[in-house]
Order: sequence, then structure tokens, then C-alpha cells
Amino acid sequence: MSAAKVEVRDVRKTFGSVEALRGASLSIAQGEITAIVGDNGAGKSTLVKCITGLIPPDTGDILVDGSPVHFSSPKDARDHGIETVYQDLALCDQLSVWQNLYLDRELTRGFGPVQFLRRRQMRSEAHRLVSDLAVNVPHVGRPVRRLSGGQRQAVAIARGVMWARGMIVLDEPTAALGLRETAQVEGLIRRVVDAGQTVLVVSHNFEQVKRLSSQVWVMRAGAVVTGVRTADVTGEELVGLVTGAITAV
Amino acid sequence: MSGTLTRPAETAATPSGPSAAQARPASRGQALRRHLGNEDLWTRATAPVALVVLVIVFSILNPRFLSWASLTSMLADSTIPIVLALGATFAVTLAGIDLSLASTVALGSVTMGLAYDAGLPMWVCAFVALFTGLVVGAFNGAIIGWGRIPDFIVTLGTMSLVMGVGLITSQGKPVQMPDASLSFVSVHGIGGIRYNFLIAIALGVLLHVVLFHTRFGMHLLAVGDNTDASKAMALRVSRVKLAGYVICGGMGGVGAILLTSYIGSSQPATNTDYLLRAIAAVVLGGVSLFGGRATMVGPIIGAILLTFLQSGLTLLGVSAFYSPLLIGIVVIAAALLMRGRK
Ligand SMILES: Nc1ncnc2c1ncn2[C@@H]1O[C@H](COP(=O)(O)OP(=O)(O)OP(=O)(O)O)[C@@H](O)[C@H]1O
Ligand SMILES: [Mg+2]
Repeated sequence: MSAAKVEVRDVRKTFGSVEALRGASLSIAQGEITAIVGDNGAGKSTLVKCITGLIPPDTGDILVDGSPVHFSSPKDARDHGIETVYQDLALCDQLSVWQNLYLDRELTRGFGPVQFLRRRQMRSEAHRLVSDLAVNVPHVGRPVRRLSGGQRQAVAIARGVMWARGMIVLDEPTAALGLRETAQVEGLIRRVVDAGQTVLVVSHNFEQVKRLSSQVWVMRAGAVVTGVRTADVTGEELVGLVTGAITAV
Repeated sequence: MSGTLTRPAETAATPSGPSAAQARPASRGQALRRHLGNEDLWTRATAPVALVVLVIVFSILNPRFLSWASLTSMLADSTIPIVLALGATFAVTLAGIDLSLASTVALGSVTMGLAYDAGLPMWVCAFVALFTGLVVGAFNGAIIGWGRIPDFIVTLGTMSLVMGVGLITSQGKPVQMPDASLSFVSVHGIGGIRYNFLIAIALGVLLHVVLFHTRFGMHLLAVGDNTDASKAMALRVSRVKLAGYVICGGMGGVGAILLTSYIGSSQPATNTDYLLRAIAAVVLGGVSLFGGRATMVGPIIGAILLTFLQSGLTLLGVSAFYSPLLIGIVVIAAALLMRGRK
């Protein structure tokens, strides 16, 4: 195993009376695909949001590239090259595909504080990029509200991949995708890793976890209960770990 | 397939090279078909089509309606509705509303009157009115953005608050401002088209550029569309809301200047009709009340439409008492029409 890109140590987070995370710890190795599995409500998305700066953890430490970080906004995570594809996709329905792809990273031109959008350039760059990513993103000028669930997911994934500079976090990236699109996204994830980046993927699909990941962490009731090398575990054992039927392999 | 991924251009000007030319997103024919099947087009066409129909109907009923003198005077009358509709568009685009807009106009004219009484030069008086609007907008925006209180409640409170401040400081008495430079924009013009109307159009062009050609505009649309997604994309939601309401309030201030110029005195009493017409124009203009989707042309045409409707009825000898009734019907009909297009 190589050095840790991200280390999470005893992170806790409560929402009112709900203890979403009660001391979660895990590490994500540099240049690998790491998976998180767990039942609904286990705290996977909350942990992801803590790592990517959307939710500040109540207590606990997060280290990126070995040094502690305190992200107060997703912008901080982005500045560390970490991109996120959220479970709810975080797309603006009325905006077009290219506008979503470039949101908060618009290309502009002008003098000093007077800056105008380079709309045409962003549009054509967006078109070129999504064609290159070989995911099923339709015409980049269309508003997102007119896309199918799978197409919307493809837009969110394309956005993550196009901006990631070191690590990408995907929260159930293929939940709405068909077989062919799922294979495309898995291919894309492999390309990202081949290019030297780190991937964290949350998935309910154990086959996918087996196919893709090198390391898998199991979450249950707000805690990370086990971590194993994917090669050392069978699909059935993963099911057992998630439900709590078995506690270790 | 190569192992490396193509990168988007970094923020600096990167020549996009031949790839940009290849990237013709779609053929012309496809683009046209998409355009015709586009519900946005119909939403946007509502106000212009209604305006054309209205002009035709009224000019048949009374040929004087389309005379140059009547046309230019109606356009001058539409100035304040246009300016306020432009402001309201920013609040509505944020999926909000600014109920305090009409009382901001009143307060702006009052503070302008105070400045005039204090003997300040006219341009300073105008600036005071504008500043008043900006302050009211900032107050609204700050409470909505950081207090996380619904816009409806906040601006309802501000409406009364601002109205009260205006009445207290003026004691309800208008200040006469007989000043040629003030009335200039309402009286003179180019070829009969008054300067006040031209100012309103110029502001419309400016705000169009702000909304569709700046980062701020794109962020405003995004925040109005989906606040959670905007937060996830690290947009500064509260600041964007603040700026949107400041623009809205600022247009209230401009409305105050134009009103004062038009009637030659301050007007401490709030004319709620202004608020109604501004919102009506925005709805007619096809701006989505759910936020995130806007145009600047639409509300301008909507405001002109409502003014023409009112003037046309007056020309036909219909009692002025009917005009609120008609505007109400038009607004609800337009809202129903737009809802079908959601
Ligand atoms: N913003 C919030 N406010 C209140 N409670 C929350 C919030 N976000 C998450 N929770 C709660 O925290 C717990 C963990 O939620 P989380 O979304 O992290 O689960 P998950 O493992 O991602 O589940 P799923 O597989 O369904 O996506 C749940 O009980 C949920 O109700
Ligand atoms: Mg989740």
C-alpha cells in the first residue's frame, strides 16, 4: 500500500439529535480506488461531505497529503485538487450543461474588476471535454432540467473529472445509470486512476466495488467498522460485513 | 485511449486552437428545431405578442392611440414601471420578492426632498435618492441572506418600516422641487422620445449585461435556481443574495429620482400600484417565479404592455377605476400561463 492521500481520524458529526458520524476513521491511499460501502443512513454521504468541506466535522481530524486540514468550504477542498460528485449531483436545473460545468470557474475576459464571461469559449471547451470523456452527456447548450436522470449524473461526473487535480470523490456515481453507461463511468474512473489520481467511491453495488476498488471500508451506524483489501474479500463476505452478520474476514 | 485526460483551459486566456472550430456543437437545422420546440421561446414570446395584439386592437378602436405624440407620452409613462420591473427581476430571479419596492420609491423621493431643502446641488440630491434605495436593498439582502428568514416576511416588514420612516421624516408633506435640470429628463428627448425612457432602456441593457455576461450574473441565476447546489459549488450564497437585493433597491432609488423629476416634488405616500405593476411586468416577461430563469427584455416589454393597457383604456374613456381590476386579471392569467410551462 502506498502513502495516504487522505486520512480521517475519529470524525464525529451530529445533526440535532441524530449522530450521523460517531467516530469514523479511515485512510485513502494515494493513486488507488478506495470504496466505502454501508447501508442507507450509515453516514457515508456525511463522511464524504466532511472530507470535501461541505460540512465541518464537530470533532476529529482530517489529513490531506499528511498535513491536517480544516476545510470550511468546498472551495478549500478544490484548492487541494479534490473534486466531488455529490449524491444529489448539485446541478442547477435551469442552467445549461456548460454553465453547470463551469459554475464558479468561469472563463472571463476584461480589464481589472470589469470581467465578462467567455460564453462561446466555455461552450466549445465544454463540448470538447465531454466528448473526450466518452460519457453520455448530450448537447452542452441544453438546460439540465431537460436531461434524463442518467444524463444528469453524467454531467455531474464529467464536471468532477474535468476539474479534479489529484483526487475525485464520487457518492454513488452510477446509481441512475444503465449497464452501458455504468461501464463507461467505470472506464472513466480507471482512466482517472491511471493518470495518477486518487479516487474515493461510495457504492451500494458490491460487484462494482469488487471490479473497481483496491481497498474497501465498511460503515455501519456512523462508524467505520472494518477495512479490507478488496482482493481478500468475497462479495458474500462484504454483504455480511455491511449487515453486521460477520465482523471480520 | 491515452492515459491522460484533456484539461479545461486554465483561467488565463488559452487559445483554444483548432479544437474550438471543430466543436460546432450542432448543425443549424438542429439548432432551429430545438429552438422551435423550446418552451422558453413561448414563455418569452408571450409579452411581445400580447403587446402587438394590444396595439393593434387599440389603434383600431381609436386611431389616435398610435400617433407619435401619444406613443412617446405612453413610453415616458412606462419609465418608472420599467425601472422597477428591472429591479424586481433580480429579486424574483433569486426565487424571492421585494415587497418594499414601492415604499423605497417613496422614501427615496423624501430623502431627495430633504437634500434639496438643505440646498444641495441637484446631482447630489439624486445621488441621495439612489443611495437610499441601495441602503434599503442592502438591509433586505443582509437579513434574507444571513438571517435566513423568508424574503416575503422580510420585505413585508421592510415595506412598512420604510413607509414609516418616509412619513416620519417628511411629516407626510411633499417638498416642491422646481428645478429645470430635474425636470429636464422628463420633458426633453430625442425625436420626441423622452430621456427618462432612454435612461430606463440604458439601465435595462446594463443589467442584461450584468445578468448574462458576468460571473456575478451566472452565480445569481445559480443561487436562485438551487441554493444547495450553489453551496456545494462553493458559491457565496448570502453575498450573492445581498447583491441581488441591493440592485433591486437601487432600482427603487432610480425610480424615486425619475418620479421626482416627473412630478416636480417628493411623494411621501407610497403608491402600492408601483409594486403591483413591477411584479406583474416581471411575470408577464416570462421570468420564472421559482428562480433561476430570467430575461431583461421580457419585464421591459411587460411594463410597456401594462402602461399601454392603462393609457389605452383611458383613451377609450374607460374609468380609471377599472385599471387595477384589469391588471389583476392580466397578472393571474399570465401566472397561470407560465405555470403550464414550468
Ligand atoms: N443535513 C442533515 N440534517 C439532519 N440529519 C441528517 C443530515 N444529513 C444526514 N442526516 C442524517 O445522518 C444520517 C446519515 O446520513 P447519510 O446521508 O450520511 O447516510 P448514507 O450512508 O449516505 O445513506 P444512503 O446510502 O442512503 O445515501 C442519517 O440518519 C440522516 O438522516
Ligand atoms: Mg448517501
